[in-house]
Amino acid sequence: MRVGIVCPYTWDVPGGVQAHVRDLADSLLGLGHEVSVLTPVDDPDEADLPPYVVAAGRAVPVPYNGSVARLAFGPLSLARTRRWLRDGAFDVLHIHEPTVPSLSMLACFAASGPMVATFHTATTRSRALQVFGSALQPGLEKITGRIAVSPAARRVVVEHLGGDAVLIPNGVSVERFADARPLPGPNVPTIAFLGRIDEPRKGLAVLLEAPPELVELVPDVRLLVAGPGDVEDVRETVPASLRSHVVLLGLVTDADKPRIYASGDVYCAPNTHGESFGIVLIEAMATGTPVVASDLEAFRRVLEEGRAGVLVPVGDAAALATALAALLADPDRRKLLAAEGHDVVQQYDWSQVTARIVEVYETVVAAVPREHAVDVDHDVDAFADDLSEIDDDPGRLSSALRRWLSRTP
Amino acid sequence: MTWVITAVAVLVLLTAYVTWTAGRLDRLHARVDAAWAALDAQLVRRASAARALVPALPAGPAEQLDAAAHEALEAQEIERERIENELSRAVRLAVPHLPPASDLDELRTAATRVALARSFHNAAVKDTRTLRFRRLPRLLSLAGHRAMPTFFEIDDTALAG
Repeated sequence: MRVGIVCPYTWDVPGGVQAHVRDLADSLLGLGHEVSVLTPVDDPDEADLPPYVVAAGRAVPVPYNGSVARLAFGPLSLARTRRWLRDGAFDVLHIHEPTVPSLSMLACFAASGPMVATFHTATTRSRALQVFGSALQPGLEKITGRIAVSPAARRVVVEHLGGDAVLIPNGVSVERFADARPLPGPNVPTIAFLGRIDEPRKGLAVLLEAPPELVELVPDVRLLVAGPGDVEDVRETVPASLRSHVVLLGLVTDADKPRIYASGDVYCAPNTHGESFGIVLIEAMATGTPVVASDLEAFRRVLEEGRAGVLVPVGDAAALATALAALLADPDRRKLLAAEGHDVVQQYDWSQVTARIVEVYETVVAAVPREHAVDVDHDVDAFADDLSEIDDDPGRLSSALRRWLSRTP
Repeated sequence: MTWVITAVAVLVLLTAYVTWTAGRLDRLHARVDAAWAALDAQLVRRASAARALVPALPAGPAEQLDAAAHEALEAQEIERERIENELSRAVRLAVPHLPPASDLDELRTAATRVALARSFHNAAVKDTRTLRFRRLPRLLSLAGHRAMPTFFEIDDTALAG
């Protein structure tokens, strides 16, 4: 199949959606499909672009939904999107986050033919959806197949857009994690944590409340904490007598992430709320490290009701300390959980996930009128042509408008 | 003079909006038709796959599954949901009676595809109905004489991955 994928966020800025698109593209290529990815790129000369990436121009930083989103939305992006759609002759168009006001939304309006969209966001308060909800409908109703990466994302689709979405989880490259070697360090019982250290919902504060009890139970315990955020701020919250037990690594590279998981005898996910999927747990289990996690809906599902990992009450530092100490003292149970985890993560491997996405592609291609493949939308095409004419000669506005009207069925 | 220009401008924009909405409706109806054709094809595939398992079953469940699959293959649009539901039930009852080495791959694939195709069909129906129930399309009966598309609701979880 020839697959055209649209990524709304700047390729050379790290992010979850970008990583998803990259892994999906690699995985599709591995299965023998042809792939082209249209995405904003800030610096096409500097960025090390894979051959399948087509740059759609620079993205402009815009404050959006409480953070800064870098979006591409303009005449140049539209022109490049049209050309990419026409030259690509895709069998199916796969748009990520079509409700984000960026390249994806543009492609959604500009294209016709078999279209699939993946919804990643689990935020119910999307400003774009609130303000433009019904204005987006004409674009969104061209999408035949909808995929949501988590039940929370699916809920957003159902509540804001109506209709259902097929649930296909995020993929993890199990192999990349399975081969990870531990970081060099002392051979003592180690608990690993990975995530933003300054974001309360990741729950590091709960884990750092546990040491007094933990040290009492496991005197030589080591807490290995990695992730972006101000290390000094966090260090100050740890009592001086316990600081020798806590190793704060700060931001680590993508390449080192698997090694952080592998360095732990136990991986701890003390998140307090807001997790929609729990990819950290899957990554940890893929390295063979057993997991102790908060009893959140998403974590409970990934850990199969506690069969593949230990669940503790949310925000309960004492219970967390007890559970961690018990697991550190029980190598047999750790081995058992690691084996269960190994089985559980297979369904999240990209090979499995991609096979399911290809099934969606095939069903969508069969469920679209006309035999032909993805193309530029007739209306948009005529309108954009007329627009460029008006650019040349403003006096021809009325004749252009009349012609466009007569072309509309 | 100004009001003439304004009136003409409003009329032009309104005409553009109406033609565009009519085009949208056309496309949505085409999408529903194609989605139904795809779903129909997967339902037929599922019934054939179920029927292929009949020889491997003991007498009682074999008869039931054969009858359900036969009815599904012959089904017209009337009562299609009931008939497909009965096939789902027959499959569920038959599977435990199959010899352990039975090849369920084709039935599994077909069941998964039915679930996908049904989800996409119902999404198309939902989008079409939403637009058709809006004030303007109703007022001008932009959908013409086309029947209001209906959802297809069955239990398709049997064996679906």
